[in-house]
Amino acid sequence: MNTIEQQLWEYIDGTLDEATKKIVEEKIASDPEIKEQYEGLLKLNSVLETLELDEPSMSFTRNVMESIALEPAPVTLKTKVNTQIIYAIGGFFVLSLVAILTYVCLQAKISLTSFNLAKKMEFNLYQYFTPNTLYVFLFADLVIGLIFLDQFLRRKVHK
Amino acid sequence: MEQKLTDSELIQNILAGETAQYALLVKRHQRFVFTLALRFSKNREDAEEIAQDCFVKAYKALATFKQTSKFSTWLYTITYTTAMTFLRKKRLNTDSIHDEETFLELENHTSGLNANDYEKQDSHAFLNQAIGQLMPDDAAIITLFYKGERSLEEIGETLHMEPNTIKVKLHRARQRLKEKLQYLLKDEVKELL
Repeated sequence: MNTIEQQLWEYIDGTLDEATKKIVEEKIASDPEIKEQYEGLLKLNSVLETLELDEPSMSFTRNVMESIALEPAPVTLKTKVNTQIIYAIGGFFVLSLVAILTYVCLQAKISLTSFNLAKKMEFNLYQYFTPNTLYVFLFADLVIGLIFLDQFLRRKVHK
Repeated sequence: MEQKLTDSELIQNILAGETAQYALLVKRHQRFVFTLALRFSKNREDAEEIAQDCFVKAYKALATFKQTSKFSTWLYTITYTTAMTFLRKKRLNTDSIHDEETFLELENHTSGLNANDYEKQDSHAFLNQAIGQLMPDDAAIITLFYKGERSLEEIGETLHMEPNTIKVKLHRARQRLKEKLQYLLKDEVKELL
């Protein structure tokens, strides 16, 4: 597609690099046919630059404004999400957790006198290592892995 | 005072609740959006419908406009997609848009005029007529390049194409336009061009 006509158009548009620009200028200067072709394109280009835009009907703006009058007003996403509400919800949950923990601590009778580690450790660990446990463990790993992958890809898209 | 506001400032005001200022944005861009729609629809009634629809869509989505590009580029992208959807609805799918035969009827109609009729028209009328006979994509690229003063990159963004593709398409569009003008004007083409 790199014909002389395309080069001439690119020369007129000013999109050629310096080296090619000089080559094209030389061609125009030395070849009368190319010069004639260039002048023709130059005239067409000047006619195209005088291109006029069409005018819509007189009531166009009014029609648009009437149409959007029925629509809800656009608001920025920042104002859509009220941060105070988010903080209030967060605060409620934090306070609830603190209250529950305080209540549990006050109610619990913590005593280390009867604490016997050896006795407590007397259990058969292998009874818990069933194939089902293993599947559950692997499934949980897979879900966590997918969540991390999703977050990673989302960050990449936003960048 | 309001007329001096930039597109960006107007958008901020609209998002802050001054929705009436959208009329200023519409007035500023309506001619170009309408012309672009006309390049696709080839008839004023449809073009007006497309242009109106596109301004309503832009209003609804204004909050999502990130201002990483010009508002006009974003608006022209909406115009392009709205016009394409409109054409598809009229059972003119993308393949037939690129089919020159679709516009053969229009071309035959206009070519029926004799040279005396053309003498009465000025160069702008000839030019608009020739552009009207081009395929929608070609006509849109020429309009965006010459009237929208868009770079190849911006046109590419609007029409969802690579800048190099736009460059080739622009070249072909001008070639076809030249042929249409030569066909329309015959001997008079030398005076005009």
